Amino acid sequence: MSIRALIADDEELARQILREYLANQSDIEIVGECDNGFATVKAISDLKPDLLFLDVQMPKLDGFEVLELVDTHLAVVFVTAYDQYATKAFDAAAVDYLLKPFDLPRFETALHRVRQRLALPPTTTLAPAELRNAALPPGRYAERIVIRDGARVHIVPVAQIDYVEAQDDYLAFHSAGKSNLKQQTISSLEESLDPKQFVRVHRSFVVNLDRIRKIEAYTKDTRIAILTDGAKIPISRAGYLKLKEVMAQP
Amino acid sequence: MHPLLQNRNSLLAYFSAWVPLGAMLGVATSGAGHLDWRATLAVITPVTLLLALVCLSPWYLCRGLPLNTTPHWKVLAYHCVAAMLGSSLVLFMVPFLLELLAHFRPRIETQFEPAMRVLAGMCFLFFLLSVALHYMLQAVESSRQAEVLSREAELKALKAQVNPHFLFNSLNSISALTTIDPAKAREMCVRLSDFLRNSLRMGERTSIPFGEELALAHTYLDVEQIRFGKRLRVRQDLDPACNDCEVPPLLVQPLVENAIKHGIASLTQGGEVSLAAHISNGALRFSVENRFDPDAPSQRKSGFGLLNVRSRLNARYGSAAHLDIQVSDGHYRVLLSVPFTKEVKK
Repeated sequence: MSIRALIADDEELARQILREYLANQSDIEIVGECDNGFATVKAISDLKPDLLFLDVQMPKLDGFEVLELVDTHLAVVFVTAYDQYATKAFDAAAVDYLLKPFDLPRFETALHRVRQRLALPPTTTLAPAELRNAALPPGRYAERIVIRDGARVHIVPVAQIDYVEAQDDYLAFHSAGKSNLKQQTISSLEESLDPKQFVRVHRSFVVNLDRIRKIEAYTKDTRIAILTDGAKIPISRAGYLKLKEVMAQP
Repeated sequence: MHPLLQNRNSLLAYFSAWVPLGAMLGVATSGAGHLDWRATLAVITPVTLLLALVCLSPWYLCRGLPLNTTPHWKVLAYHCVAAMLGSSLVLFMVPFLLELLAHFRPRIETQFEPAMRVLAGMCFLFFLLSVALHYMLQAVESSRQAEVLSREAELKALKAQVNPHFLFNSLNSISALTTIDPAKAREMCVRLSDFLRNSLRMGERTSIPFGEELALAHTYLDVEQIRFGKRLRVRQDLDPACNDCEVPPLLVQPLVENAIKHGIASLTQGGEVSLAAHISNGALRFSVENRFDPDAPSQRKSGFGLLNVRSRLNARYGSAAHLDIQVSDGHYRVLLSVPFTKEVKK
């Protein structure tokens, strides 16, 4: 059975190289090419490729955002001119990380790794949200959250998030009265957000500080935050201490 | 050049500061001598003016005797001698002045006589006061110079920096072209080399004609044209009269690079980059316009290149140059305005 490969790069010439190198590989079949992030997400869910050659800088969604929205297992090889995300992202999950320009022997090494990876049972091929965190340089935080809703992709700027609630394996992102579900753990989300702006006030809640209108006592140890839109979210004892600490900072 | 003589405003401020000092001289001398206020005014006004001029002279001596490296006794001795000479010069003029005024007021010379000593003392003190003022001016000046120097050093470092991603992406395009279109691959190698050579060379100059800046930007666009193909379209409306205007080097290319990196590259269908240059009201006005995707994933925030251009303009022209950015609805426009200056032909 041949390996079904998808190429995602916005530059025609960059795709051209991959086509040329892949032409000699009898066990690999190119099932599609995409020139932007949206198209890539759609093609992955439509074509279910085994292998994805992925550029980081693309229109619409960048490569990491694409991976966040992918729920099928596939081997990913980054192909990019940017080396600043390389080591971390590579360590996290990607099968290989090709730096442009690359030669055929280097490409074949990557394919060798791909074949090895695909021979393994599909267990931990990717952990997209963790990969995303690894890709953020220290001191920098996510600026937007991408959420997939069937075939549609929502892009929510973090400043528009009111609060986030954990529900089993999912997170519910509440913003402007609407809520969107995304598969992610609350601790990985917490890590990717600016701690001066978002505080995990409860085991299952992360809140945007700008949205808190007031805090009221609830029981002896717990409190309730009332947000500007009237929503009420619980604050644990530890959460309250964290909140006080952040608010005390200038 | 004396800093106070460099512009009209500071000179005006300097002379206005002498109005109260002149009044002090007047009060002191009229008390010591036997003169009414009108006669005092007639004597003191020209004396004050002369003293004000003489008190500009410590600048040169202050420069020769920097406070931190000269022994204190030496500073004190030199300036005291200078103060004596300076006030003597003023006092030397007084008898001539009095003689002149005697035509209108016969006994003015004897009436002013007792005030001479007071006047001498005050001239001496005022001169020393101006020495202090000049040391202060010097401190301000040297701190400003240090700022300019550090900015220049920073600029040098920035100019040497060609965006490595541009380089790698271009090399990748060349790599792709070698099999499908070798002639085009060679062309791109040549364009890329042209661009690198020219941008390195320009970094060494302090000022270049705008025409050369445009030529460099065009070489850059040629390379990007091959990389982006149909996605990149360039429209130009450039007045050739602009070509002679002297501008700081590497001013235009960062703006064009910005338009491609954050504009064209964010659009799947690509778009148009419009360059326009005109002269109006003695200023060169250059604009770069492009469309961009407002919802594009944020890369490392743009604006670093623009910020650099802005601070360089500021260092060179102060408020006479502008860099305005207009963003509306997926449309990005950078407008650059610098005073039109031509190189002086030797």
